[in-house]
Amino acid sequence: MPDKDAETILECDAVWKIFGDGAASALRNLGPDPSDDDLKNRKLIAGVRHASLKVKKGEIFIIMGLSGSGKSTLLRCMTGLHDLTGGRVLIDGVNIADLSDRDLVELRRRKISMVFQDFALLPHLTVLGNVAFPLRVQGADRRTREEAARKMIALVGLEGRETYYPDELSGGQQQRVGIARSLTTQPEVWFLDEPFSALDPLIRQDMQSEFLRLQGLLKKTIVFVTHDFDEAVRLADRMAVMKDGRVVQIGKPEELILDPADDYVTKFTRDIPKEKVLRVRSIMTAGGTPTNDMAVPAEARLVEVAADVIAGEGHHPVLDASGALLGTLHRRDLAAYLI
Amino acid sequence: MTALARYTVAVPGVPSLRLHHLALILALAASWALAFLDRGNPLVVVPQGWIFDLATPLTDAMKYLAREFQIGPVRFSSITRSVGWLISQPFELLAGLLADGFTFYRQDAPPFHIPALPWIGTTGVFCLVAWWYASSRLALWTGLCFAAFAVFGLWESAMLTLASVIIAVILGGFGGVVLGIWGYRKPWLNAALQPLYDTMQTLPLFSYLVPMILFFGFGPVAALMATIVFALPPMARVTTEALHALPRSVSEFGEIAGCSPFQLTWLVRVPAARNKLLLGVNQVIMLSLAVVIVASLIGAGGLGGDVLKALKSMRMGDAMASGLAITLIAITLDRLSYAIATKRPAHTATDQPWIARHALPLGCAAILAVAILISVFVPAMHQWPDELVISLGRFGNGAVQWIGATFDTQIDAVRDTAIVYLLKPVKIFFLTVPWASFVIVIGALGWILGGWRLAMLGIAIFVAIALLGYWKKAMMSLYLVSMSVVVAMIIGTLLGLWARLSDRAERVLIAFVDVLQTLPTFVYLIPVVMLFSIGDFPAFVAIILYGIAPAIRYTSAGIRGVRLNLVEGAIMSGCSRLQLLTQVKLPLALPTILLGLNQVVMMSFGMLVITALVGTRGLEETTLVAIARVAAGDGLLAGLGIAGMAIVFDRYLKALNRKIAFHLGVPIPR
Repeated sequence: MPDKDAETILECDAVWKIFGDGAASALRNLGPDPSDDDLKNRKLIAGVRHASLKVKKGEIFIIMGLSGSGKSTLLRCMTGLHDLTGGRVLIDGVNIADLSDRDLVELRRRKISMVFQDFALLPHLTVLGNVAFPLRVQGADRRTREEAARKMIALVGLEGRETYYPDELSGGQQQRVGIARSLTTQPEVWFLDEPFSALDPLIRQDMQSEFLRLQGLLKKTIVFVTHDFDEAVRLADRMAVMKDGRVVQIGKPEELILDPADDYVTKFTRDIPKEKVLRVRSIMTAGGTPTNDMAVPAEARLVEVAADVIAGEGHHPVLDASGALLGTLHRRDLAAYLI
Repeated sequence: MTALARYTVAVPGVPSLRLHHLALILALAASWALAFLDRGNPLVVVPQGWIFDLATPLTDAMKYLAREFQIGPVRFSSITRSVGWLISQPFELLAGLLADGFTFYRQDAPPFHIPALPWIGTTGVFCLVAWWYASSRLALWTGLCFAAFAVFGLWESAMLTLASVIIAVILGGFGGVVLGIWGYRKPWLNAALQPLYDTMQTLPLFSYLVPMILFFGFGPVAALMATIVFALPPMARVTTEALHALPRSVSEFGEIAGCSPFQLTWLVRVPAARNKLLLGVNQVIMLSLAVVIVASLIGAGGLGGDVLKALKSMRMGDAMASGLAITLIAITLDRLSYAIATKRPAHTATDQPWIARHALPLGCAAILAVAILISVFVPAMHQWPDELVISLGRFGNGAVQWIGATFDTQIDAVRDTAIVYLLKPVKIFFLTVPWASFVIVIGALGWILGGWRLAMLGIAIFVAIALLGYWKKAMMSLYLVSMSVVVAMIIGTLLGLWARLSDRAERVLIAFVDVLQTLPTFVYLIPVVMLFSIGDFPAFVAIILYGIAPAIRYTSAGIRGVRLNLVEGAIMSGCSRLQLLTQVKLPLALPTILLGLNQVVMMSFGMLVITALVGTRGLEETTLVAIARVAAGDGLLAGLGIAGMAIVFDRYLKALNRKIAFHLGVPIPR
């Protein structure tokens, strides 16, 4: 979990992306917030509308939304794959729209990388060739790039498959290659566009665990796009929910569940197994007086302490990592989240 | 017409049902009425005064361009000559290696000659490549073919043809890829190039040859240039299509990985699309072979030249032998390039030694070294000795004479019956129909099928043919093509239906069709001339043979493609087998069969052009005669006439197919 006041490394400021001819002038002429009808009259379609968010160094930031919500478009705006129609994207304080073509190439070679939903592996290269590819285009010699690639292949657990071609691997393995490839250049910001959506549910869970393990080792800044709310809640430090091109709510998963901004967010949170997401800290009665001595840790998830809390009588003390008393928890408090 | 009327459903932008009938009836009535006019009427036969002679100024302009035109101080001709010289260098190197060696002339010493590679070495290299990429079976086949070239005394010609094909494919393929990439990057350019490609692909070969003679002089270089130019459009098309078919994410990955535009094209997109590109190369190889053979008319030499010479002096057996060699080369190149295109790379340890990573080139070099060594001691391994050559030609000549003598009456009977009862009446019909009637009907059909734009296309092309003075010739071409198409469609559809009756029948037929489609057009002429001498009838048979393949293939595929639930539904409603076929399967397969028809038409036009060599008298003859007279304008206009008619038929049939598919609610097959 990143620091509270970690520095912002990536910022979207009022980003607009409108598709169609004459989009920029339309945005200037139609006022700050053109309606869909206005745009449709000009044969334009809005992909992203006035999206603002800040991603802090070292956090997993998830953009969640259904298909057509503009989440992938926003991601492509952040990586410069799409030109913005309005607003700014800053990476390390630099507006990427100001970069020359050469500087943008340099940024992509050194600072950012991306994982794709359909893997986007190059069919003519082996696993090793694919993983080494980003270093190859930078002009690294064969020995250097293959050494780096082998390390990454080992990191994602594909040793022994170096000479395989992508179409000889399962979907999960292919995405491991995609992940390894995106890490060879040791990027600072790691973009993942629905990386696990094309995989079977069981494989998907494995890959999510794998992803968390890797992040534990690497501590990258991550922007992760998904349409799966469960996945978002499981992986996110913070997340943004998008609908119709707008960012509806930004917050920690717990904040979204406890305090959804509107009906749209509520709909997603309703079926989430809350006991697996929420932590004791967020539902305790702060500053209460404990009536028993069966302490529960503040950072524990509800599901982990439920058996003890239900079995115990009265108010349990809630302690933080250093053992200081933060508040109390009664089984009544818990009940609402277990049913 | 009934088929048309049944499918006259409303498609947006196309006139409605009742108007259709009215238009068709009016058009037919008008054209019928015209038939009663006197032949002196300008609407029946285009009067001399209306005809505009574009050919002469066009020829003059091209001659001026080729001989006198200057860009600044530089003559255009010196540019073309230097391009030709540049292209001839790799060709002469390869031809020297494979076929005739290198001769250096010295001032005061006898010329110094380095011989070509020993035949056993070249054969060995091709066998190794076939084994490496395909199988030991293909290697054996390749070895036998090449050995046959040597033993039958066809080695030099075969190698010369092979060298031409290889150089044309490398240059044409590369040029096509570059052009295709360009078209991929700039959609407007691609859109602008499409009609040009259409014309280039339907323009008769002979029309290419005259400008090539003007620009590059008579000889192998002009032939090579014609082949390259002919191979460009299909390769460019395949490239653009293959690049568009790549998933968007592959390009995005390339950008995110920090590729420069050059790297994005050549390290990401092109290699990622390599499978489709290589299949395109396979097509280009077959096309180049067909063209290289025909280009022997302007001095390409090789097997095509041998056939041509043999045909001219009526040595049928020799023509057959060279034709057979062309066939063997075609099949070998087709299978080999297909195997290379679809080859799955094997797993190899990445830290393999240098030798293992370069096994194929090293193996080839080793074979050549050993072969050269052997040939020093055993000259027969270097060049097959003349006294051991088995002349297929002599056998062949005898066999042909025997066939002629034995079956003379039967062959004549078949030919005469077909001419008297089939070809002649149709020809007379086409030649007597007033040109205005023809144009009216074309216009009405176009309007019904695809609206006024299509009608304008059809009318414009046929009016242009009339006013440029090619009407009679065009009708001679059209009669031959339409008769051949009708017969090919009938036989092909029946064969296709028969193929669906049993799996074995289908396997046999498809194998037959595969071979038919591999053979260069030129080869078809040899047996028909042998049996039927020259004239319209052998041409008619050659066109049918060449065009029948898609009719069989598409009919069979169309019937097989009918959805199983519909067939089961029909069976459960009590259809008999015949009813099932005629009322369910055939109508539903119609769009696919029509697609086959479209291909039959295009291939028939392709073959028609070549039949000028056996003495047909339509526009194709004009393009052929233009070569001898170096009349570039005439050849080009007559060629454009054929291309224009082919394009009209193509567009009309596609429009008809759209309507039928729409009516049946099935997707338009591709």
